[in-house]
Amino acid sequence: MAIEKIDHDLCTGCEQCVLSCPMDVIRMDEEINKAVIKYVEDCMYCGFCVDCPEKAITILPGPTQSVTLGWG
Amino acid sequence: MSLENLIEADVLVIGGGLAGCFASVKAKEQGADVVLVDKGYVSKTGGTPYAGDTMVFNPEWGHDLDAWMEQVSVLGEYVNNRQWNEIVFKESYDRFKDLESYGVKFLEENDEVVRLPHPLSTLDMPDKDKFPPIVSQVVHWLPGWGEAIRKHVEKSGVKLMERVVICELIKKEEKIVGAVGFPVDKEELIVFKTKSVVICAGGGGFRPPGYPTHELTADGVALAYRVGAEVTGKEFVSPMTVGSLEPHPGWESMYEHFSSGHSAALPGAAKNVPFLGRRINAEGEEVPHRGMSWHGWIDVHHEIHAGRGPLTMDGPGGRKISINGPGAGGSMHGHATAGIFSADTDGNVGVPGLYAAGDSLGVQFVGSTYSGFGFATSYASVSGARAGCAAAEFARKCGDGSLDRDRVEDLKKSIKGPLERKGGFSPRWVTEILRSYMVPYFVMYIKHEDRLKAALTNVGFIRDHLVPKITASDAHELRLAHETRSMVLNAEMKLRASMFRKESRGNHYREDYPKRDDPEWLAWVLLKNENGSMNVYKKSMPEEWWPDLNKPYDERYPLKFPESA
Repeated sequence: MAIEKIDHDLCTGCEQCVLSCPMDVIRMDEEINKAVIKYVEDCMYCGFCVDCPEKAITILPGPTQSVTLGWG
Repeated sequence: MSLENLIEADVLVIGGGLAGCFASVKAKEQGADVVLVDKGYVSKTGGTPYAGDTMVFNPEWGHDLDAWMEQVSVLGEYVNNRQWNEIVFKESYDRFKDLESYGVKFLEENDEVVRLPHPLSTLDMPDKDKFPPIVSQVVHWLPGWGEAIRKHVEKSGVKLMERVVICELIKKEEKIVGAVGFPVDKEELIVFKTKSVVICAGGGGFRPPGYPTHELTADGVALAYRVGAEVTGKEFVSPMTVGSLEPHPGWESMYEHFSSGHSAALPGAAKNVPFLGRRINAEGEEVPHRGMSWHGWIDVHHEIHAGRGPLTMDGPGGRKISINGPGAGGSMHGHATAGIFSADTDGNVGVPGLYAAGDSLGVQFVGSTYSGFGFATSYASVSGARAGCAAAEFARKCGDGSLDRDRVEDLKKSIKGPLERKGGFSPRWVTEILRSYMVPYFVMYIKHEDRLKAALTNVGFIRDHLVPKITASDAHELRLAHETRSMVLNAEMKLRASMFRKESRGNHYREDYPKRDDPEWLAWVLLKNENGSMNVYKKSMPEEWWPDLNKPYDERYPLKFPESA
């Protein structure tokens, strides 16, 4: 369960989601001036990013957990 | 001396939750030049999004100080700090008025702020008549409270630096003179040269593998421990559910009310709906709430141990919530109890120039069980304001210091270490291994010397052999690397403190010592770094805070542990 998608047709690059993510999952892509999901494995499903003023962000429902296998 | 990325200020506040905001604003009001650093974004950081209310004591509302004090002492089982209880109760109204003046809106009816009773006072619990009346009350702030405080911090002239992680404090001639950190998205170090530091970076707890932890990584406690401060309360836990349906951090039963980064922690009470639902075990039997909901988690884990788990609880909207399947368990930490020990009432932690507030400050405000809704936020406000004022005064009196260039270079090198390693272990993997040792109910909640020792052996291996080889590919992972290092230290603290307290009390339950032991353990357990190893010892409570030892245990402690129920 994690952030699934940032719809770049809707994203205005306001950076609110980048700032609101406590886990630093979302970053700005400076070239296109849009938010991108960079570290999905650290998403904690708090839902703070869903407050996006453009409603550009969707979160996957349902229980899944990402577990790091091996030591890498 | 010239240093790249040097930030100078009188007071550095680490962490921008409620305690950090109060500390920085009050220090600024005292005339200090203040910088507030947060690894997230103030208003969305740490525990802020999950806090829905705050306790306010006000005699004009008919509140009786003695009754409030008794509530904390009985539920906290007499290891609460009555000096701080009185201070926080008495100053809570002023901080509430501060919050109003900062623009925070509270739930009102007929132009009066709504005061809500403790939800346990409305529940029909077994043995309820044996407890003192649960008298504390809370007021609710409305959505947007975090943003209002953030605006006030900015307006007050505090310099805000966000998305910056502090990794080490700089100590010179026994005094704290600064800190070193880095932005979460840039591989460059920042050096802070300050006259005093206030740590408001929350506490430390564990969640099961796969559930990220961001606000409970014990960063602040680790910073202070490494420069010689004492730490206390680590044997106590404040459990929160981490359920099977929504593995967000620990708030499943209340999730709907938190999901947008703002909350009303007692929506049930606000709407006259039961907040704490019935808990049913796998055999369909009810497991009643007893004494205090946080204490009741020991009951839950006994049910699970007996093979009658998982339990379900009625949730908002008629949903059934699965709580704590076998092996899972969400833990905060000793909320408003555990942290960097202070013997003072201004948050100084025994190291000149170093202060703490909120969940980073360990003065055992609630003792062994969290006994009141809204206590942690009031405690954060009051302790933050006190620590901020004291840190500003310290800064005013101490002269301009200087940094030791060699020491700073050594710290910078060690902080960047994970970026420069060619091979090793990922911080995520080390964190998961650590949690797999710490989180099982037979280590975290139902403790026994054999199992604590076994966990400590493995945590010791992680500390000695994995932590020094953690790698990071960028600044984001470097942050994780340092958080993992703090969590490993916190694990060792929790295990050593739990082994040391050879009794059961509040939320600390020892299968091999299942009873309270007065007055031997009317004491706080302290941890201190002595030449690289963790010393454990205790400090006895003042006798005037003891319960009446002439009373039999059954009367002294209304809450029975499961074995003697």
